[in-house]
Amino acid sequence: MLFLHETHSVVGRADEQFEAAYRDGWLPALAAGSDARLLWYFELAHGTGLSYRVVTVTGVEDGAAWARLADRVADGDLRSWARHRDGLQHSSASRVLTALPWSPEVGSLSAVPVDPVDHAPVLYMEDTMWPFPGKIRSYIEAAGAIYRKALQAPDSQMHMSIELALQTLPGAGRYPEVTLLQKLSDLPPLIRLLTNDTPPEVVAPGSWMHEALELRDQWQSRILRSAPWSPLP
Amino acid sequence: MTMLFMHETHKVIGRYAERFEELCRRELMGALASSDDTRLLWYFNHAMGSGPAYQVVTITGVAGGGAWETLTRRMISGDLGDLVAELDSCRYAVQGKLLVPVPWSALQDVRLGEVPTDGREHDLSIFMQDTGWPDAPLDDYIEMWDTEYWQHMRQTPPDRRLLDVQACFRVSHGTGVRPEAILLQKVVNTSILGGLLTRAEKPDPTTWPGSYMHRSLDVRDQWESKLLRTSRWSPLF
Repeated sequence: MLFLHETHSVVGRADEQFEAAYRDGWLPALAAGSDARLLWYFELAHGTGLSYRVVTVTGVEDGAAWARLADRVADGDLRSWARHRDGLQHSSASRVLTALPWSPEVGSLSAVPVDPVDHAPVLYMEDTMWPFPGKIRSYIEAAGAIYRKALQAPDSQMHMSIELALQTLPGAGRYPEVTLLQKLSDLPPLIRLLTNDTPPEVVAPGSWMHEALELRDQWQSRILRSAPWSPLP
Repeated sequence: MTMLFMHETHKVIGRYAERFEELCRRELMGALASSDDTRLLWYFNHAMGSGPAYQVVTITGVAGGGAWETLTRRMISGDLGDLVAELDSCRYAVQGKLLVPVPWSALQDVRLGEVPTDGREHDLSIFMQDTGWPDAPLDDYIEMWDTEYWQHMRQTPPDRRLLDVQACFRVSHGTGVRPEAILLQKVVNTSILGGLLTRAEKPDPTTWPGSYMHRSLDVRDQWESKLLRTSRWSPLF
């Protein structure tokens, strides 16, 4: 499966229409076929970054399915929908990603809800990293062996789980680039992270934060909140 | 099947610039040619003095979405993995997007099997790559480029023509910025290019190209031109 990840800079006055375009337009349009599904509709949490930013993640079966979807948007039944969306956003920046070998799976596209569901919003921390030149393979391996395991440990400070571990595909975004979509199961640890200095043991030699500096020192974290109707919560 | 043009802008590490180009010429071009579905088409250096340092643009022809996915699998975990790792060690990053020709583009398809893969040398060519970001619907912008720009450009007498518009692309859904469209234009008269760079007066809005400059403000006022020079061995030039 491939993941089409889009960050939309939405026209503020049109944010409700933009959301409706995805909920009432994109979601059912993809549901008419079997090889693409809207997976998540996120808003960037207020107070943590740029205003009126929406992130959508669409799953497509494979490269051929992506190309069929792109053709529908360019010249097919989704062309008018895309034109409508153009009026509701300033721009969007997109990329296509694939799961890392150790990533959890989202399951079959056929199991993804195709009608708007109703659930409590869920917070995610989305981390995007840019490994040093020539280091992406080492970074992916180390992130799986060390970082992922640290999050899974019973004494983990963050109460966060990796839902998807992805890398951007060559030709469809920046490379090398790794993105982790991490679900937060508890708010207080996040608040502690935001309001306290990093504990010394977290950055001490031997820690992931310290050792991973050999592989990368630039990343961006975003706090995303899923919409109550997002197919995946 | 829609042909894809994989457009990559490489931010190369200066001290490894020659190594990067040699890897592309001696190894990548041939490795891509081992499949009928992919070919390196253009290798451009951003002309020094006109923009960022050590920036390279490559365009690879790919025969559809399935072929592109196969290529990416080869690159990240297959037989091209070591070569990509070596290329990665010569660059800070690469930014890619998948382009498709718009309906009126002169270039629609490339017979991949006929693209040279032997690194044969030729004279250098210079291209002006214009990337535009409209504030009107993308389709309207692309249509304006056709009626107000390309059709006029084609009618310009050869001795007064600066550019040959070889291709116009849109970004395929999900692989870059929207709204965005790209013109790939070969500079056919460097004297006229010199005039363009040094002319200070505003174009006359009552005659073309001034009329184009004036009317196109209805759909966009933000674009970027890059002067790209093919390498001597670039398969297309």
